[in-house]
Amino acid sequence: MVYFSFAVFFVGTGIRLVKIFGKPKQSTSLQIYPEKRPQWLWALHDTFLFPSVRKHKPILWIFLILFHACLLLLVIGHLELFGEFRIFQMIPHEIFLGKGFVGLILCVALMFFLFRRFLSPVRELSVPEDYYLLILLFLIVLFGSQMDWARRWYGYEELLVEDYRTYLLSLLTLKPELPYNVINSGHSFMLVLHVFFANLFLIFFPFSQSMHAFLSLPMNKLRRG
Amino acid sequence: MDQKTREDLLKLFQGKLNEAMTFYLETCTRCGVCIEACHVYASMGQVRYIAAYRQEIVRRIYKKYFKARGKVWPSVGESKELNEMALEELYEAAYSCTGCRRCMVYCPFGIDTQMIMSIAKLLLVGAHSEPEILTLLADTSIEKGKSLDIFKENFLTGIKKLEKDVVKKWKMEAGETAIPMDVQGADLLFVALAGAHSIIPTAAIFNAAGENWTLSFFEAVNFGAFVGDPARTQLILDRIVNEATRLKVKEVCICECGTAFRVMKQLAGKQPFKVSSVTEVHARYIKEGRIQLDRSLLNGVVTYHDPCQIARNGDVIDAPRYILKHLTNDFRDMSPDPTYNWCCGGGGGLVALGEETLDFRMKSSKVKADQIKRTEATTVVTACENCHTQLCNLNDHYQMGVDVKFLSSMVADALVQN
Repeated sequence: MVYFSFAVFFVGTGIRLVKIFGKPKQSTSLQIYPEKRPQWLWALHDTFLFPSVRKHKPILWIFLILFHACLLLLVIGHLELFGEFRIFQMIPHEIFLGKGFVGLILCVALMFFLFRRFLSPVRELSVPEDYYLLILLFLIVLFGSQMDWARRWYGYEELLVEDYRTYLLSLLTLKPELPYNVINSGHSFMLVLHVFFANLFLIFFPFSQSMHAFLSLPMNKLRRG
Repeated sequence: MDQKTREDLLKLFQGKLNEAMTFYLETCTRCGVCIEACHVYASMGQVRYIAAYRQEIVRRIYKKYFKARGKVWPSVGESKELNEMALEELYEAAYSCTGCRRCMVYCPFGIDTQMIMSIAKLLLVGAHSEPEILTLLADTSIEKGKSLDIFKENFLTGIKKLEKDVVKKWKMEAGETAIPMDVQGADLLFVALAGAHSIIPTAAIFNAAGENWTLSFFEAVNFGAFVGDPARTQLILDRIVNEATRLKVKEVCICECGTAFRVMKQLAGKQPFKVSSVTEVHARYIKEGRIQLDRSLLNGVVTYHDPCQIARNGDVIDAPRYILKHLTNDFRDMSPDPTYNWCCGGGGGLVALGEETLDFRMKSSKVKADQIKRTEATTVVTACENCHTQLCNLNDHYQMGVDVKFLSSMVADALVQN
């Protein structure tokens, strides 16, 4: 299932992006004025700092920025489970940045996103997809963080970074092998659930609104001209 | 709705799916940042007027027919079938949206609701459910372009009658034409509206500035754009483009009409001539010292309503303020940032539909009336025919007691004859 979902994720996203960007370009301007130059820099600013959210929904903005920043840290953390990257260790840290708080912040932010959808009028705007994605992400983060929290905060040191590395590298080299520690630790069910939900998310990703990760920049560029 | 009709409509839908449109349909996360953006929602408080909700009405049909999930898992995005009921919803969404694009400023991704509504409008045209009067008006414009010779004589006689009014505003030497037409090699082609108030003041200003200009045979307004029919929009536009190319003018100047300006400036593609709004041209005359204005005519606070298609969507923001500084000492802006100015509530063809939409237009534009009241202005100036009509209606309905004026006629009235 891991292989299948990664395949769907990479191939699906790739194909969808190629298809979308292959469509005929809009021949006319969609710009909003007044114009600020250089436009590409402002488009980057809009894409990564969400200034319009900061202006109109400041609380949502705090959670959004925390959520996306922590997501980035987690991606780095997962990459480091595969092996050592000197570039990430420029600031020396234990593997999984943030001493466990990254996962906690993500959980809180996801809860916030979910519960604000229960309130009108965002409630009327939402469709099932929005809830599914948030719940799915919450489950992934919760089970993933559990393993991290246990190691850091409760001194439950059964599963070490080295064990994950063995497992993940074996996956990467197409010779899946489960180290003894991974299967028999008290945390294996957490790991299994974490991986399972993550797979579901990866499979759904290319077909869902999560594609905004890739489309936000070109769209903001259209608005900036 | 039978299968054949649906297939035809979906073909129209498919034709709209270029890269930008696909971005807009794929991306919305329904985050709700756009909730306060729409003046209709801000005035009436109904969820169906939130930008994201309007978009979702089109997006649900997109999910049903253009995404795999429409077959595999339709409920996940609440996909919807295209049927009579869907058409009614599309009508409600598209003809309560003025296309002001204020929500585009709010959206973290910059989704263009006006563009998504253009799908709704096109489907309605395809199903013959659009407001007939708009199509009728568009067809009249197109017909005029096809058979100019029939209209020409009448038009010229009509224009001749206006000339003495132009001269009243700006005296001319004997032998000069007050309203030149069909001038080969003129510097500037002025495209007006079918109405004396649109031609007379600006003609006087051109003459005062000594412009080498000529009046277009055609009216600027593009009903094709209101009804959202790309083919008709193009045909109406082509009449003016052809005339400008035939006369080899350097500049095409669009009168005070938001739609006409936006369509000509941004939706017409690259042209061998420059496109300006009449406001920009007047500001240029003042800057170059070609006209002098009398500042003592106006009393009380003056405010300016930025027409969405000219300011936020057309980049004419500083010029009207520059002109007003030469007309009054007491100018006040409505909103600190013109990008966030409320729409008058009359765009997207709503004013053109007249009485039919009057009740909705008044209810949906309460925020605009409040915004004007807050400035304590006694004179509200604007530079768009639609906005002017709508603001006059608002003035009556909310008993604001303000004077609603066209910028161009104020400039004409303040001309100082040397």
